[in-house]
Amino acid sequence: MTEALAAPPRPSPAPDQPLLDVRGLKTYFHTLDGVVKAVDGVDFTLPRGGTIGIVGESGSGKSVTAYTLMRLIDIPPGEIAGGQALFEGRDLLTLPMGEMRRIRGNDIAMIFQEPMTSLNPVFTIGDQIAEAVKLHQRVNDREAMNRAIEALRLVGIAAPERRVKQYPHELSGGMRQRAMIAMALSCEPKLLIADEPTTALDVTIQAQILELIKAIQERTGAALILITHDLAVVAEVCQQIVVMYAGRVVESGLVTDVLLRPEHPYTQGLLNSMPSDKKRGERLTAIQGVVPSPFRLPPGCKFAPRCVYAWDRCQEEPELLASGERLVRCWLQAPGETARRARFEADAAATVEALLNDESEPGFAAESPPA
Amino acid sequence: MATLQPSIEELTPAPAPGTADYEVSLVSLNQWQLAWRRFRKHRMAMIGTGLFFAIILISFVGPFIVPYDPLSISTPIKGCGSGCPPSFAPGNFHPFGTTGGLQRDIFALVINGGRLSLLIGVGASMISAVIGAVVGGVAGYFGSWWDGILMRICDVLLSLPLLFVILVVANFIGQGKGDWYTVLLVFALLGWAGLARLVRSVFLSLRGETFVDAARAVGVPSRRIIFKHILPNAISPIIVATTLSIAAVIVGEAFVSYLGFGVNPLTPTWGNVLSNAQNYLSQGNWWWAFFPGLFIVVTVLAVNFMGDGLRDALDPRSRL
Repeated sequence: MTEALAAPPRPSPAPDQPLLDVRGLKTYFHTLDGVVKAVDGVDFTLPRGGTIGIVGESGSGKSVTAYTLMRLIDIPPGEIAGGQALFEGRDLLTLPMGEMRRIRGNDIAMIFQEPMTSLNPVFTIGDQIAEAVKLHQRVNDREAMNRAIEALRLVGIAAPERRVKQYPHELSGGMRQRAMIAMALSCEPKLLIADEPTTALDVTIQAQILELIKAIQERTGAALILITHDLAVVAEVCQQIVVMYAGRVVESGLVTDVLLRPEHPYTQGLLNSMPSDKKRGERLTAIQGVVPSPFRLPPGCKFAPRCVYAWDRCQEEPELLASGERLVRCWLQAPGETARRARFEADAAATVEALLNDESEPGFAAESPPA
Repeated sequence: MATLQPSIEELTPAPAPGTADYEVSLVSLNQWQLAWRRFRKHRMAMIGTGLFFAIILISFVGPFIVPYDPLSISTPIKGCGSGCPPSFAPGNFHPFGTTGGLQRDIFALVINGGRLSLLIGVGASMISAVIGAVVGGVAGYFGSWWDGILMRICDVLLSLPLLFVILVVANFIGQGKGDWYTVLLVFALLGWAGLARLVRSVFLSLRGETFVDAARAVGVPSRRIIFKHILPNAISPIIVATTLSIAAVIVGEAFVSYLGFGVNPLTPTWGNVLSNAQNYLSQGNWWWAFFPGLFIVVTVLAVNFMGDGLRDALDPRSRL
């Protein structure tokens, strides 16, 4: 009886409804120098238990997308200028703050880039995880602390009974990130957003943390949004990929499709710039030029100034074109551009070929289609 | 030889096998334990703290021990007769001497006055610390128009010449016979602006820390973030500023009372005792002004040393 009273009836989501459906997301920042369109058109759909990787260079709007979904953007100077983010049918962008607070931590949890600063230095690890539990579930202090210990055990921290009594400064970077993951998992969220969870860690720890996220995601069935600039990581962990450039999605689709058959020159450029065994000793092939200043974006395709395939048509902004499950924002994929597309596809195939033959990229080897 | 030079093994016995690994034997020290460890090494701060608590003890316990009522007129001391001097120098029965005229015991006056002076100093500082922390926290955390309004109020308070406002307010509210709590409240309600600014600036910088975003991301409400997550990180500057403000309020109270606008002149405070002494200074009875003055100086010095020590001890970057 009390159970029924405590939980107001909510229409159970349709089975085919995606967990998260983001459409036309736009986040602007109003600065003294003008408006920064940090996110200007992001679309993706995440099924229950699905995994999606968002990749792009620094400043492409990956983190802002995550912060916007969590409504962590400071308004002002920020502004959510448009779009929808339907989470189980409810728009995260327009929910009242009280509702949003119940979703945060409980339904959607987030792991941050900087494990060194994402834990409060004046609380013990246990207090912080227990607080997250107590905010969302009716448990007493003792029960919450037990949940914290369990969560720490789950993320592979030895002797969690002792660790809960320690302060963040007593833990290493990898341990802190594990503690953050434990905190994020303590309420069994339906969606986990990991914002470059391994960037600040050293290489050996990176692999461990990724393995952990992957294992836990599989075990709890939570959906995952993994923000990273490492394509190999996406190839290993995710089913879907979203490639962002200058605040826009330039290409998205299944990881196997996008990485094996890139349709956007930017994606191809990213693949081309990956280090591999073949190129050992050579200079890495970088995409020429730099990300344009957010105050002076080119008028048409934002990537055109750096694109080796660009021609007159690129002075005009391309729409996000759908081809099957793929979404691409490039005139090369427009109908009628057969000759140009053929040239690009040949280059792209060569790039992918080089990576596939490379033993040092296990992620790619695993993804290679059966011959 | 071997007995004179104990080996290293004897000095530091190896842990018994199977008891604990190195990591386990590390003790977790929290913020306060670390601060206390640093504070203890600060000699002047320890002396200051000792003095300050000694003065508090004397002021609050002393009145029950000292046989004189500060306001009672001393019975003529034996052998005095009719030719009594206007006041007695420190001597057997009155360690700090007596006042002129009514022959009050200065020691009793000083320790009773200390009670009120300290109460006003500590009380007003505490209240303004709370107001300042709340105002500064809200302004710094929420920003935008909260910040604008609250900080303009602070600007107004800071631009007022505080002492003159206190003179006017005390005169107006107290009608010239101010109760001690009126003076306390005036200092408390007008003195928080500086601390509010300090707290705001600390909040502004902590607001951008990832742990605040992380707290918001697990659904912690704003009020809880301000008071439970950010405020403990800002507690060091608040403690230091509040401690130093105790000294400032004590001096301020003495100043206002000396001018006759503070606590009712018939109630002993350090300022009042000083004030009453001034007319008699020319007669050479230095003790009347000296002892309350000495207590003010010692208290203020002690509090300032304590504040310095706290500043060093609570600074997380300090490597003392």
